[in-house]
Amino acid sequence: MSATIVSQLHSYNKKVARSRATSEPAWVRWSLIAVSLLFLSLFLFIPLAAVFTEALRKGFGAYIAALVDPDALSAIKLTVIAAAISLPLNLVFGVAAAWAIAKFDFRGKSILITLIDLPFAVSPVIAGLIYVLIFGMQGWFGEWLIDHDHKVIFAIPGIVLATIFVTFPFIARELIPLMQAQGKEEEEAGLVLGANGWQILWRITLPNIKWGLLYGVILTNARAMGEFGAVSVVSGHIRGLTNTMPLHVEILYNEYNYAAAFAVASLLAFLALLTLALKSFIEWQASRDVIIDEQIEE
Amino acid sequence: MSIEIRNITKDFGSFQALKNISLDVPSGELVALLGPSGCGKTTLLRIIAGLETPDSGNILFHGSNATERDVREREVGFVFQHYALFRHMSVFENVAFGLRVRPKATRPSDAEISKRVHKLLELVQLDWLADRYPPQLSGGQRQRIALARALAVEPKVLLLDEPFGALDAKVRKDLRRWLRRLHDELHITSVFVTHDQEEALEVADRIVVMNHGQVEQIGSPQEVYDAPASPFVYQFLGNVNLFHSRVNEGRAQIGGIELQLDAHQETKDSPAFAYVRPHDIEVLKEADGEHAFEATVNYIHAIGPLVRLELQRADNPELIEAELTRERFRELSLTEGQSVFIRPRNVRVFLNQVA
Amino acid sequence: MAKHKNVLPGFNLSLGYTLLYLSLIVLIPLSAAFLKTTELSLAEFWQVVTAPRVVASYKLTFGASLIGAVLNAIFGLLTAWVLTRYTFPGKKLVDALVDLPFALPTAVAGIALTAVYASNGWIGSILEPHGIKVAFTPLGVVVALTFIGLPFVVRTVQPVLEDLEAETEEAAASLGANRWQTFSRVILPALWPALLTGFALAFARAIGEYGSVIFIAGNMPMVSEITPLIIITKLEQYDYAGATAVAVVMLVISFILLFAINGLQWWSNHRISASR
Repeated sequence: MSATIVSQLHSYNKKVARSRATSEPAWVRWSLIAVSLLFLSLFLFIPLAAVFTEALRKGFGAYIAALVDPDALSAIKLTVIAAAISLPLNLVFGVAAAWAIAKFDFRGKSILITLIDLPFAVSPVIAGLIYVLIFGMQGWFGEWLIDHDHKVIFAIPGIVLATIFVTFPFIARELIPLMQAQGKEEEEAGLVLGANGWQILWRITLPNIKWGLLYGVILTNARAMGEFGAVSVVSGHIRGLTNTMPLHVEILYNEYNYAAAFAVASLLAFLALLTLALKSFIEWQASRDVIIDEQIEE
Repeated sequence: MSIEIRNITKDFGSFQALKNISLDVPSGELVALLGPSGCGKTTLLRIIAGLETPDSGNILFHGSNATERDVREREVGFVFQHYALFRHMSVFENVAFGLRVRPKATRPSDAEISKRVHKLLELVQLDWLADRYPPQLSGGQRQRIALARALAVEPKVLLLDEPFGALDAKVRKDLRRWLRRLHDELHITSVFVTHDQEEALEVADRIVVMNHGQVEQIGSPQEVYDAPASPFVYQFLGNVNLFHSRVNEGRAQIGGIELQLDAHQETKDSPAFAYVRPHDIEVLKEADGEHAFEATVNYIHAIGPLVRLELQRADNPELIEAELTRERFRELSLTEGQSVFIRPRNVRVFLNQVA
Repeated sequence: MAKHKNVLPGFNLSLGYTLLYLSLIVLIPLSAAFLKTTELSLAEFWQVVTAPRVVASYKLTFGASLIGAVLNAIFGLLTAWVLTRYTFPGKKLVDALVDLPFALPTAVAGIALTAVYASNGWIGSILEPHGIKVAFTPLGVVVALTFIGLPFVVRTVQPVLEDLEAETEEAAASLGANRWQTFSRVILPALWPALLTGFALAFARAIGEYGSVIFIAGNMPMVSEITPLIIITKLEQYDYAGATAVAVVMLVISFILLFAINGLQWWSNHRISASR
């Protein structure tokens, strides 16, 4: 009788020891959490909080005034325009590139993927520089542009080009692994059932990649609206004309108009937080789809 | 609609998937392409569907050349191995898809589509699932929806890639019978790919056994099982005992006994393999002159309707498998370790080509 | 180019468009940088890219990037560990905020970090009495480059950590390993490729970074001036050839890093798929 109790106790102890064996004591756990949170606070949370505090330092009235200033409004407008042009272009490119790479086999595919990644590796400053070399006054098309009274550098087209460059890989990089993982059976099924290429794209492929697509669009948009280095090189910093929001922040800051600089910056920070919230929402949605899938498989 | 396959070859890089394949599928038959994985059976099915293009050779549908015809114009129904249901569409929309993507001129009205989809869903006995989404279905249900979707476009030919491959054993058996009944009802020319010999033997009118990109044998289930045309077919369909043997002028030597053969009359002393099914191994308690050889009973597995014996030959370490009925087993009253005599029946001898 | 014909439509169209767009936006403009340097003789090129001020900027850029990436490797691994293994209040929020440096415009990050680490800032005013100056010194550059590289290590290590099977750790424990031995001999080796990839990504990103650095760096020549700023300065002086020469040096280094990272990722994926 007592022997069975002892052996039961023994096996129970072993069980506890086992779960303990793959975890850490509470004090280790909490110190690791504390160190990690301290690190994140120093580099993330405190600077983020500083943006909003500094923005409201001179009161709410000054905050609003900084945002409705005509130069600020025109910077907001230009930022939205640059994003609104570059986004659809990179979207079409991303879908086309992912379609070719994920659904077909061809030689040089991995080189192509690496080339698509190139803009990630290029400093934003250099991204701006290369367009100056082509479209600037001394550039390849410089004279032609002056003769025909077109302006690219120090004008909106240059800003759009630089924005396209720095956000170039985002959507394609999001879609390629996703579409590769999904394979092409569903598209083939559509084909056998008589659908043509556009019908397959619109009715089968795009609905299947909608979360990945949205994810890429959101990241692209955040980067497009926030780009600084590349745009700074090609913009010429003409107030009210070629200033985007980040450039406007820089100008205000360099003029020691800190409250106004942080006010505009807070708008961008808010956009970043919104981006993160949407991103989390999409991840949650997409993982929910996957979980349902897996539950049924079992 | 009949399908004729004429001299089809297909390479993937240096890998030869299909080597000069020719075969006929008569109208209304249910044909199985049977073979181990990598034998080219799925590639052949995809070539019939137009999902893959052959390097050379032709596919004829009802006598007319369809090799260059686009998938969309072939009027085939294809059931994919993993069903390839559109996961963001309801079951109803999945089945309706083939009708909805038709050009306006030939597209049925919404009411007509709805009627046809529900009829098909009734046919596969899943009308109650019309509003569900594919992730919410079980494997067997997905399989039947995939079939309903393929049938919606009224195909002339139905092609199924490992239709039961992803299902568990019980569901697989039920669906197998259900597919057979469905085929008897619809009589649509059908080809399915499988690596499961039992499945092919039970469902198909006719079996095409494939190996290494070639057709090994074509015949009814009875023919391929009872009279395999090659050592590969012998080994692939059912259990078999293999004996090393020598053949000389129509006589084969196996384990000290000599058998008279119908074939190989001209062969002069050459190595060969002899194949005998376990149920064609007769076990005797007494020696039977020159027709039986000695062996020891190693193990007895007496589970199920048949008793399986593992025997060891007295003259060499080769193991032999034998199957007896329970009655026969009782008559012999065998025990492990006992010495017995073995008389093979229905021996098939193939010359060892390599040697 | 197609190895064997695939029946899905749109291959020529999609690949053609991809190559065209890639060439117009990326390849041709980038080649312009390399062509531009041919205006300089080799001696001139060498003189530009090895000028003392430029060399000082390399040292700062690569040194600070390296320190930032190392910091991120250590604390990124820790953060990934804490986020996958433990539960604590607000964990989901922390997890989402880790990506902030991806989403926050670099200029905003730059002025925010400067405000916090300046001698009158929240953290700067605590450090100042101890003789530690962050803003407007090379240390400020390290802070900014740590910030922008922060998500990389966390996000490359996290999925690998999530996929680690508890069974291998249980096996190690059942064989008598203590927790630290299990971590250093079983878990860490499995994380190496991801950790190294995250480190390389953070490093590569830091090298090219401009926006977040220039506000906090102070930009003193020879002391706290980063290489991208040198390029901008030369551009503002209309020294296009000089700016391009320095850019080419950076581009070459970035490309080498990109290939190294792709190789690392291939290695890491390869190991995962091979073990499955």
